Amino acid sequence: MRPDFLDRHARLASPIHRLPTAVKAGAALLLLIALALVPPRQPWLFALVALLLVAVAGASRIPPRFLLGRLLLLEPLALGVAALAFLQPGGWRHFLLLVGRSTLALGVVLLLSQTTPFAALLRLLRRLRLPALLVTLLALMYRYLFVLADEAERLQRARASRTFSRRRGRDWRAIAAVAGRLFGRASERSERIYGAMCARGWRP
Amino acid sequence: MAAVKALEVTGLSYRYPDGTPALDGVSFALAEGESVGLIGPNGAGKSTLLLHLNGLLPDVPPAEPAVRVLGQPLTRDRLPGVRREVGLLFQDPDDQLFCPTVREDVAFGPEQFGLAGPDLAAEVARCLATVGLAGYEDRLPHHLSRGEKRRVCLAGVLACRPRLLVFDEPTADLDPRGRRDLKALLAGLPVTKLIASHDLEMIAALCPRVVLLDQGRVVADGPAAELLADEPLMLAHGLERPPGLSRRHPPG
Amino acid sequence: MHIPDGFLDLPTATGAAVLAAGGVAVALRETRRRLEPRQVPLMALTAAFVFVAQMLNFPVAAGTSGHLIGAALATALVGPAAAVLVLTTVVVVQCLVFADGGLLALGANLLNMALLAPVAAWAAGLPLRRTLPGLAGRLAGATFGGWVAVVLAAAACAGELALAGAAPWRTVAPAMIGVHLLIGAGEGVITALVLAAIARARPELVTAAGAGSARRFLRTGVLVALALALFAAPFASSLPDGLEAVAERLGFAALEQPAALPAPAPDYALPGLASPLAATAAAGVLGALGMLGVALLLGRALARPREAGSA
Repeated sequence: MRPDFLDRHARLASPIHRLPTAVKAGAALLLLIALALVPPRQPWLFALVALLLVAVAGASRIPPRFLLGRLLLLEPLALGVAALAFLQPGGWRHFLLLVGRSTLALGVVLLLSQTTPFAALLRLLRRLRLPALLVTLLALMYRYLFVLADEAERLQRARASRTFSRRRGRDWRAIAAVAGRLFGRASERSERIYGAMCARGWRP
Repeated sequence: MAAVKALEVTGLSYRYPDGTPALDGVSFALAEGESVGLIGPNGAGKSTLLLHLNGLLPDVPPAEPAVRVLGQPLTRDRLPGVRREVGLLFQDPDDQLFCPTVREDVAFGPEQFGLAGPDLAAEVARCLATVGLAGYEDRLPHHLSRGEKRRVCLAGVLACRPRLLVFDEPTADLDPRGRRDLKALLAGLPVTKLIASHDLEMIAALCPRVVLLDQGRVVADGPAAELLADEPLMLAHGLERPPGLSRRHPPG
Repeated sequence: MHIPDGFLDLPTATGAAVLAAGGVAVALRETRRRLEPRQVPLMALTAAFVFVAQMLNFPVAAGTSGHLIGAALATALVGPAAAVLVLTTVVVVQCLVFADGGLLALGANLLNMALLAPVAAWAAGLPLRRTLPGLAGRLAGATFGGWVAVVLAAAACAGELALAGAAPWRTVAPAMIGVHLLIGAGEGVITALVLAAIARARPELVTAAGAGSARRFLRTGVLVALALALFAAPFASSLPDGLEAVAERLGFAALEQPAALPAPAPDYALPGLASPLAATAAAGVLGALGMLGVALLLGRALARPREAGSA
């Protein structure tokens, strides 16, 4: 996993990035609620939101190709669920409504996540009095996501360089073996992390 | 001699949970301001010994601890204080750099001990500057090189203002530049230091005295110039005389 | 099965969020009661592990591949209460960092994948853990539990979508549940394989984590489920009426529901007429029996000491 996979553009200098996290998160939430409340008879409100998003995206200086790329990556999920609309008469209008709404909502969350480092979101959650245990879990998980992903990659490469057969049944067991060793390492590391936390005075 | 020893280990023994003996009657002491190297082959018990110095091992603090830090025995109620006084740097910086940003990680220790607000920010800045990483506050751990991660860990430990610094293989996995930088950094720290390492050249440069550990026992304890140059001794314990150290011309 | 934003209306999303918050709060209380501090990093790393494990490709056929969801795996590794927290962490990170699953829909996604799935996995696995001794029982329990978790999560997901008016129950339920009867089988098998691999390398990690707290947690879970049923009953019994009543009270009366929504109500009350639903129910029963068999066989097979030299 590329080290900047997640936060590639979260640290640019732009007026949007500089906004306080609470403002960005609050605005995102309000936009999402507004989208949920738009009556099907007034789709022009969607256009309004779309314009707003484009403006914000422009001000944020994030490369548009990147944003569109991410949008396209995540779109199939929304399309899939929206396809359920075809299971009923008059489906086309319903389908378009769903796709429009969900794509815009996706844009909102995408912009939020690309203009706000996850660490800032965590600080906001802590200020909002989210239980300390949850915040700690989120922070630690995020931190070690890459470490584990790298280890998984290494384990898979090691396995691949020793595998000469292509039998599918074997493959599942081999992949599961990688997962097994990965968890073993993760568990050992968690012990060392606990030691490191205690060594600097952590008391849960 | 009335000066309190920075560290005193007396007859420390330890067995792993599965019964394998790890340490057997280890005894040595460090005076304040000393720089001592801890050397020995893999499996000698160096890391295990280091974990005893701030009470991470044994799991249950004994009634009669074998370790004394600054004159105080490591009993259960002393542990929080000891963890402030003994700064332990782990072998894998990824284990120790567990916060989402550099700033939060360096601030972690002093935060636990009550520092907050602008004082905390100033302390973080000071420690990062000390390790040569000024301005790194907002960086993410997974974007850093291994050497940078090691230095952030050091900053985080220094932020606790320890009286004794303990290092577990500080130059392992570093490229030559990272190694040079870290060596210079360590040389510049006036605190009492115990450095466990395979990097005998670094030990020779930084530590006037070494303790040789093998199979859980202290085999030798004396001037680095003598012990490291003693080829038969080094070879007998899975080590070797560091290049650049001749028998006739010990380092200054 | 992460629900994106834009499909759930506000009442459904809010209701689900409230229930999810309650469930997570219960899990928090339960975990704190028995938590050893050293388990905090373990839970976080288990969450990271579940996330990474979800990215592993298990090739199926002609380019498709299966992926682990992980509820049964997490439950087997850290117990149901801690698994709720582990999966909550995973789902939240997926939402906030990867935009996988909507922000407003987070409550529903948590309800399905972080609450229902692990609790169902644990409960469904109980009889198997009691039937077969030792590791075989745990593996069998995880296999069947994994299947049940996926199917129930899919059913809940369909329910939420139907409740929100995104699609009618009598069509979305057979579609989602039907597909996940198969996906669940993959989940069960993969869970067992991974668990067996972990047990082979580090047997002490696959312990019966927190059995006592599990029972209490399950009791609370059942109570919450009853509350959920009571809360949902007015909606379920007469879909459009209930929704319209709520909508009026909340001032959403101006919202016009999609034309097809009134249709499900009469069919829903008379299951005999809705053949896709009946067929799904039948498939579900058959699937459950089949998975029980698979679970027992797999549990025994994988728990046997492995022959040397494979993979």
